[in-house]
Amino acid sequence: MQASEVKTHKPVWSDWCPGCGNFGILRAEELAIRELGLDPKSVVVVSGIGCSGKLPHFMNVPINGVHTLHGRALAFATGIKLANPKLKVIVNAGDGDALGIGMGHFVHAGRRNIDMVLIVHDNGVYALTKGQASPTLRKGIKTKSLPKPNVNEAVNPLAVAIASGYTFVARGYAYDVNHLKELMKRALNHRGMALIDVLQPCPTYNDVNTKEFYDKRVYKLEEQKDWDPVVRKPEEVQEKALKAIMKSFEWGERIPIGLFYQNTLEETYEDRIAKYIENYFDYPPALQEIEKDGKSTTLMDKLLKTRRI
Amino acid sequence: MRISWLIGGPQGQGVDTSANLFGQAVAKAGYYIFGNREYYSNIKGRHSYFQTVLSDNPVHSVVSYADILVAFEPETVFQHFDEVRKVVIYDPSQASVSVPFVRSMEPEIAEEKSKLLENEGLRPTVNDAITYAVKRGAKAIGLDYDSIVVKVAEEVNVPRSVAERVKNVAAVGASLKVLGLPIDGLLEAVRNAFKNELFIRMNSLAAKLAYDQVPSVYDLKPLERKEPRVWMDGNTAVALGKLAGGLRFQSYYPITPAADESVYLEAVETIEMEVNALKKGGVIVVQTEDELAAINMASGAALTGARAATSTSGPGFSLMAEGIGWAGMNEVPVVITYYMRGAPSTGQPTRTGQADLKFALNVSHGEFPRIVIASGDHVEAFWDAIWALNLAERYQTPVIHLLEKAIANSYVVTEESNFRGEYVIDRGKLVRPETDYFPRFQVTEDGISPRVRLGDAGVFYSGDEHNEWGHITEASTNRRTMYEKRMRKLETADREIPEEKRVNVFGEGDYAVVTWGFTKGAILDVLDELQAMGVMAIQVRMFSPYPRNLMRKLLQGKKAIIALEGNYQAQGAEVMTEQTGVFPTHYVLKYNGRLITSDEVMEGVKRALKGERRVVLSAGQ
Repeated sequence: MQASEVKTHKPVWSDWCPGCGNFGILRAEELAIRELGLDPKSVVVVSGIGCSGKLPHFMNVPINGVHTLHGRALAFATGIKLANPKLKVIVNAGDGDALGIGMGHFVHAGRRNIDMVLIVHDNGVYALTKGQASPTLRKGIKTKSLPKPNVNEAVNPLAVAIASGYTFVARGYAYDVNHLKELMKRALNHRGMALIDVLQPCPTYNDVNTKEFYDKRVYKLEEQKDWDPVVRKPEEVQEKALKAIMKSFEWGERIPIGLFYQNTLEETYEDRIAKYIENYFDYPPALQEIEKDGKSTTLMDKLLKTRRI
Repeated sequence: MRISWLIGGPQGQGVDTSANLFGQAVAKAGYYIFGNREYYSNIKGRHSYFQTVLSDNPVHSVVSYADILVAFEPETVFQHFDEVRKVVIYDPSQASVSVPFVRSMEPEIAEEKSKLLENEGLRPTVNDAITYAVKRGAKAIGLDYDSIVVKVAEEVNVPRSVAERVKNVAAVGASLKVLGLPIDGLLEAVRNAFKNELFIRMNSLAAKLAYDQVPSVYDLKPLERKEPRVWMDGNTAVALGKLAGGLRFQSYYPITPAADESVYLEAVETIEMEVNALKKGGVIVVQTEDELAAINMASGAALTGARAATSTSGPGFSLMAEGIGWAGMNEVPVVITYYMRGAPSTGQPTRTGQADLKFALNVSHGEFPRIVIASGDHVEAFWDAIWALNLAERYQTPVIHLLEKAIANSYVVTEESNFRGEYVIDRGKLVRPETDYFPRFQVTEDGISPRVRLGDAGVFYSGDEHNEWGHITEASTNRRTMYEKRMRKLETADREIPEEKRVNVFGEGDYAVVTWGFTKGAILDVLDELQAMGVMAIQVRMFSPYPRNLMRKLLQGKKAIIALEGNYQAQGAEVMTEQTGVFPTHYVLKYNGRLITSDEVMEGVKRALKGERRVVLSAGQ
């Protein structure tokens, strides 16, 4: 069959395990895109490697999918977004992907505060390689594939994100699709680098952090009367960031989900570029007409003359 | 006429500034220049030097000797006394300083140079090192730097410690007198180089005092320039070429000797464009967290339709390997500018090398079309930067543009018209579909699929084997179809790109030197001598796809084929043999981190033709 004869696109059959938390994340993402009325053609879903990496291929919304390398989804996404800031960029990465092999990019994405959303599929294991411990699995936990209890302490993605400069930091739960969808909509509407760390049971390899484990522990920050994570004045930044970091360490009988921190006052990387390059938002790199009748439209005369001796 | 001038000094004490001032003064007097900077991987204190070759004809390389050596401190004398041919300018007040007192000198070099003097019955002092040069016919000119410093301190009313800084410019003033050139070009260069009025006065005075102190040895006359000339280093040549070629996104992680290219691009910011009444564009330069980010950001940007590139050196390129594979699998037009330096590992970060050719050709696991080109000089580097961007988009695959530190950090003074002309842009099969979805990887006869920008229609990419839609599939028939489709692009490129464009041929003769990269310049500077011996030169400019038919034809019936390269294995020749079945008969190689000089080309070729199968060159401090 010639592809060019095909008029419509068909999503790929999903090969995730039955009961996988990824289904909830996928569903929430599709709903968020639809409910916000985003033009699917201008949405780019970027992913890394792992079970989460296949997410763009499984989407029922006609988006663009860029399935990249292990750990590097944020780097690709950065190039896409900066070259064309008109695109809406959503990154999906696993916990091993974003916080293990890709931790460098995770930190630096915060420093840049690019207008993108990162969704971390956080299940505590490297499922695609049969269940090794991921960077978010807590010390001493022995999931079923581990020969010994985990010897490493877990990283706290929310605290690292806040310390790195993310301006929207939230945690969702894969089995509460509605709540997760609402978080995603807020993240997509936020102007700046957003993280949603999604607690996601892995029914196949994580027999500790199961649906039952989470169902009885998670509670919603939105339902807490005194919880106000939004920075409204520059002098509130430190206080709110510290409160959010404190909150992010709450883990045990009760596990908070919802918005931990949001700062809308910080300029984005794109804003910083636009200070030096006029027309950046209207005429970004991707849309510049660099060629006319087979010739370059770039005028070199002045640049060459600066080299005259 | 060709004169080699060399100035040295501790890193951070104005060696570059003085060499630049000298170069400007000489260029303003109408001379062509090739200048090369040699420096340690250090912040301050180690011996760096700058060699400037000036000529009334275009010049493309350095030589392994100094007609004029200029020293304002002892180490330069110790490092270079055995290279001086005609004049050495030094500080007589330092005559009694001996090698052990020069702490910045590496023990290996100190021992080697002391031995050289000892063999002649001389002691390791400045005085005796000068004697060594004089015995070989050089003229020693003592420049009384201290009196100049004292005079500048008095007249400009600054402390002596501040006036000390004028020594390097004094050395340049003396150099111009030695050449017989007027001083006004230097005074103009000083006015342009320094912003602070005090420094302008100090340095101008020092230059004049030194100029009046020394005799003329040459009698050069200012020459007329028929058309404007430019001053071009390799990093800037590539940056300008990329701009002319429509580059709009560059990512990089700081590394020697590549970073200056990106820094130049970042400074450009806004670009004037000839569309919609001078609509202004802009190039985005992102300093990344590492080279993994650099290559993958560039690929991401390329997917949106922006012309994108990254620029690096060996260690960075090693980190990019996986990303280049993704770009190959996903048919991303991305350019990697690769400045080779001393390797492996950190190697010699500030020295040159040509040992990464086979790595560039084979980077990343698996098979995919990699286009690899190698520039031979600054003008080629400019045009090749445009070419690389066009090849990347036409064949939708990573293009590796090889250069060396020897080009990056050297500069030429040459006609501006060399960089002007028609800047062709070939965007290949870039299309604007009407549909919501687009199958990005359609199977075509030439292997090249129509390409859309992200945002124009829904498309999918995956590093996994994929079907025409970009969706993952492991079906064996599809695997074979897509594998062949990708590889077919290299065959298409091989068919479409004229082989004559992939090879430069200089002269004719029964003997052939086969080379690539920077060595082209050294060959051009001795081409007449080579021709007199019946030696022609072949410079390979594209290694993948390799110009095998033309190469076979060119090499047929040669009495000798001499591989001339800056590495141990003769990698370019190995590729030649692999592609053509022709073996070199002789090897002239150099891998000490210094560039091959024009006189070394002659030495190497002569020794080879006398029967030495493998000549290893070693000039350069």
